[in-house]
Amino acid sequence: MKKTSSVNPFKRGFAAVLGNEKSQGITIPVFAILLSLVACAIIILALGKNPLTAFTSLLQGSGVLPKVTYAAKKSMFTDFMSMINEFTPMLFAALAVALALKTGLFNIGVSGQMLVAGFIATITVGYSKLPMAAALPLVLIIGIISGAAVGALIGWLKHRFNINEVVTSIMLNYIFEYLISYFINSYYINAISRQSQAISASASLTLANVALGGLKVDIPLGFILTIPVAFLVLFLLNRTRLGYELKVVGLNRRAAKYAGINVGRSLITSMALSGALAGLAGVTLYMGYYTSIQPRVLTSVGFDSIAVCLLGNMHPIGILFSSLLITVISKGGNYMSSIVGVPEEITEMITGLILLFSACGAFIRYRVSITKEEITEEKLRAKSAAAAEGGEKA
Amino acid sequence: MDEFIVEMRHITKRFPGITANDDVSISVKKGEIFALLGENGAGKSTLMSMLFGMYEPDEGEIYIRGKKVNITSPSHATQLNIGMVHQHFKLVENYTITENIILGQEPKARFLGLLPSVDIKGSNKKIAELSKKYGLEVDPTKKIEEINVSTRQRVEILKMLYREAEILIFDEPTAVLTPQEIEFLLEIIRGLRNSGKTVILITHKLEEIKKVADRCAILCRGKLVGVMDVADTSTKTMANMMVGRDVSFTTEKDKPRFGAEVLEVSHLTVKNHDSLPVVKDVSFKVRAGEIFAIAGVSGNGQTEVADAITGLADSCGGSIKLSGRDITKESVRERTLAGISYIPEDRHEVGLVLDFDLAENLALREYFKEPFCRKGILQEAAFEEHGKRLIEEYDIRSGQGTVTSVRSMSGGNQQKAIIAREIELGSELMIFVQPTRGLDIGAIENIHKQIIAQRDEGKAILLVSLELDEIINLADTIGVMYNGEMLNIAPAETLTANQVGEYMMGVKAV
Amino acid sequence: MNTIIIDGLAFALPLFIIAIGGIFSERSGITNLALEGFLGFGAFFGAVMVMAFTGGSVSGVEVPMFFTALIFAVIGGALFAMLHALLCIPFKANQVISGVVINILSAALTAFFTSQINTLLVGKPTNKFVLSVCQKFTVPGISKIPVLGAFFTDIYYYEPIIIVVALVAAYVLYKSRFGMRLRACGDNPHAVDAAGIDVAKTRFIAVMISGGLSGLGGMCFAYSISASFSPSIYAGYGFLAIAALIFGNWKIGPTLGACLIFGFARAAGYQLAQTLGLPSTFSDVIMILPYVLTLLLLMFFSQNNRAPRALGEIYDKGKR
Repeated sequence: MKKTSSVNPFKRGFAAVLGNEKSQGITIPVFAILLSLVACAIIILALGKNPLTAFTSLLQGSGVLPKVTYAAKKSMFTDFMSMINEFTPMLFAALAVALALKTGLFNIGVSGQMLVAGFIATITVGYSKLPMAAALPLVLIIGIISGAAVGALIGWLKHRFNINEVVTSIMLNYIFEYLISYFINSYYINAISRQSQAISASASLTLANVALGGLKVDIPLGFILTIPVAFLVLFLLNRTRLGYELKVVGLNRRAAKYAGINVGRSLITSMALSGALAGLAGVTLYMGYYTSIQPRVLTSVGFDSIAVCLLGNMHPIGILFSSLLITVISKGGNYMSSIVGVPEEITEMITGLILLFSACGAFIRYRVSITKEEITEEKLRAKSAAAAEGGEKA
Repeated sequence: MDEFIVEMRHITKRFPGITANDDVSISVKKGEIFALLGENGAGKSTLMSMLFGMYEPDEGEIYIRGKKVNITSPSHATQLNIGMVHQHFKLVENYTITENIILGQEPKARFLGLLPSVDIKGSNKKIAELSKKYGLEVDPTKKIEEINVSTRQRVEILKMLYREAEILIFDEPTAVLTPQEIEFLLEIIRGLRNSGKTVILITHKLEEIKKVADRCAILCRGKLVGVMDVADTSTKTMANMMVGRDVSFTTEKDKPRFGAEVLEVSHLTVKNHDSLPVVKDVSFKVRAGEIFAIAGVSGNGQTEVADAITGLADSCGGSIKLSGRDITKESVRERTLAGISYIPEDRHEVGLVLDFDLAENLALREYFKEPFCRKGILQEAAFEEHGKRLIEEYDIRSGQGTVTSVRSMSGGNQQKAIIAREIELGSELMIFVQPTRGLDIGAIENIHKQIIAQRDEGKAILLVSLELDEIINLADTIGVMYNGEMLNIAPAETLTANQVGEYMMGVKAV
Repeated sequence: MNTIIIDGLAFALPLFIIAIGGIFSERSGITNLALEGFLGFGAFFGAVMVMAFTGGSVSGVEVPMFFTALIFAVIGGALFAMLHALLCIPFKANQVISGVVINILSAALTAFFTSQINTLLVGKPTNKFVLSVCQKFTVPGISKIPVLGAFFTDIYYYEPIIIVVALVAAYVLYKSRFGMRLRACGDNPHAVDAAGIDVAKTRFIAVMISGGLSGLGGMCFAYSISASFSPSIYAGYGFLAIAALIFGNWKIGPTLGACLIFGFARAAGYQLAQTLGLPSTFSDVIMILPYVLTLLLLMFFSQNNRAPRALGEIYDKGKR
């Protein structure tokens, strides 16, 4: 006979808050984030520092909360803008990963696609003398097309030769890294900065050091596109025929064929769209956040974006929030370490812990459903006991 | 009490939302073949899963050989000499038969005379001997991915025998077998009993119980309805007790009224992945208002014929014509639009997208057309309306209506959904492959009625089935496939079940 | 020509042992993208131990310290891998996320602790532990044979160690009881469970093995390429190893082939750039050789590429 212990109130509370399957998509990541913040607080305490000050300084560093003093021409607004500048490429990269994932494809080549897009846009528009009104749209278009081309190539190789897209992406990452490094070093190098020549200001997607109301602010124009693009991706996935087809291919290949869907074309389209988003990430990074490209380096954005995408539950709106969270932490880290005295690497650890706990989302869901079952069982037993009593009395 | 090797007393088992077993008590004698009869969901598998240690009962006790036991795991059950052949085989695809059987109890050898390793050679010999002893001949060196379904089942049985099981539980063993394979299996089960083993047979197939079981317990919706000697009870009585009402065995069918020719298959050839022909020069015709049934043992090319007609498999010879038009080179979508509905064999892997909701699945074959899609944008209202209508008209039971995740629906309701969708396409040709696989009597009745109704409305129906009864029941014309060839085509009324069975074994028509 | 073989082997073998680690994990059903993190952390752990024993200066005790480093690298890698195992097995996390997270964590933790330890030891928070270069040896006699002899010339001490470990690993995976059960877990864990074997435990050990082997490989890289431990250890070799094992269809033999291709092509590239007297920038172009070669080969050989059937699926006992 099973033990008839009742479910303790602590567990009941959890089940009540986290048990609703509809809201689990949000409540569980939030819960994971809270857990990780607690864990970080403990670590910071262990280092002998005040966690509250640490978290506050984190938010101050990224312009979410005001600092005590500011350098000349700087304010909370400038910090915030600076954070948004870093947020923009990360968002596009995470959306790129999400779109491919919905079709069952793992685009681990986002960094390489970003580099290609950034490089091609740099040498075509970045070094030209075009005025801003012409240059910026051109940068975006070239970025999108370059990224899409690489993505389509990966998709085609998978469709035609059944080459695992993870391997193709990794190979292409290296190939692009070295090829572009060669071209930069041979033709476009700036001997002093050891990076590619800086692009002209009119081609930069981020307006640097704009004088605004007594401040000097970076205005990331790319940000204007972030929220619309996120909603566009959401619309594509949920409301269009293409989105329906991509999802079916991702969920059940054989059913996709049965439904009459052209699977090969869907794979290529999906990777091309993913590459296009990666292209947007590339130009907003290399021609916005930065204004030059460092050879022989592959940005970590392409890999961190995988974690950000999964933290956002692969949902465009979730990704908006998860990208924001991760960027806030990353940007504020510098300030936090200078104010509180913890080493800079702490921010990476905080990010890592958040991702760690969110990875356990499935586990949390599992434990919650077990608790729910226990609660239902208890109710059933109570019912049958009451019925038995009632029967006896009658 | 000694004669009862297994006793399960007052067993109750609850799952969220359902009481799977409600105060069930059964006793099995040593050396008998004991059947557990009931519809899908009656609680038979759950009861035996507890005997095999996969779950523990909420209430009640289990006695093995007179001693009370708490069976906590399959290994514990194995130690008690209980073995179970599951409905869904638990086999490692890229391992050989031997490796699958010895997994977990691997005999030791010395690699290069020194290092401890697994004795594959010796095991191969032992298993060859074991398989001969029980009449379950297999080639132990073959990989699971290379062998067919009934051989896989033999491997599962050998697994039990290798571990010296005395009590053998079979969970719906004939669900995946063809008529001849079923006969072989029943023979094997009799042989096991004659060797002194006790066999518990979980099934919903009445004829098989009649053929082989000594006693039978009937479960209905979690409760034990009765235990009886099989010899003294008619199948009609058993069926009625199982379902809880009167059941008819044959479906009422009007005389056929054939119309114009709808499907013409000429000299069709289909090759498999290894370029071997699995359909060889097959030709047949189906008229409007006709049910053309292809009979045959599993794996003789029937499914490939259906796939080739639908476009899911490529044909490399011959032609397929729909109402006179050659569609041999057309895509799946073109053929669907031209008027072919397809109810595939595998409802989970092909017919449905399990993680989509009901409305999305019901539109799976038409989502790209008006009213579901306008200029590339999906019209949610159309999905909703279509879904609601089909749920109503076809009595599809779902937890939450159109937004139910199809994964959570029962097999019978999933199949209802697929059939509803395909009927609604209004196609002139409807292809059904194994439409009632794994379903209970009530669901089977329902689907048979629908097929006949469609035929009466003038559709051309191609039915591929491994169930001889289903074919005899429904077909107007029967074609038998053997080894990729269409051996014989004749009107159903001119053939007896025995004759069809013979053709299925390759006996050519006189 | 000889240099290609010598340098190629020196790179291919550590890569190979890391890839074998990946094979162990993935054949048991656990997707492992964390090889990068494992190799880094293993190298870190080994380097820390060397620092601890020598107080920061390695000269005079290079060889024994080298072997110490290897041993602790294996231990460190295995310990860190427990994190991935914990996340993926009892905590049922998405294995892809877990792999990526482990990589991020490894880089963060090792950088953090390296600078902390350096502050203690040498007073400056540098992010590097200086080790020595592993010593080499040459087999007398055989090394004189043209071409073949190059395989026995200028061999790093770690190369024969890796070969021995690889042979042991192959034996364990293909011939031992444990290996047989491990490979079954990656195909059908339900079958393994029904046979009474603890799937979770088997997978846990498999992941730890992958950590240990990756740590070994990482330490060898640290001792050959950079003669130090620093953030540059995270050069993507872990991902290269993954590509190698996918190319090798999750089998040890073909994976060795893939690693050799990478190693030789890489070395050939450097040689080519040198002999042609090309400016150093050109070496970048040559570096793409192994990757282009791989893509071309994959075009011909991917038709039958098949991952372990249960790879990446969270094993749920209740599912029927």
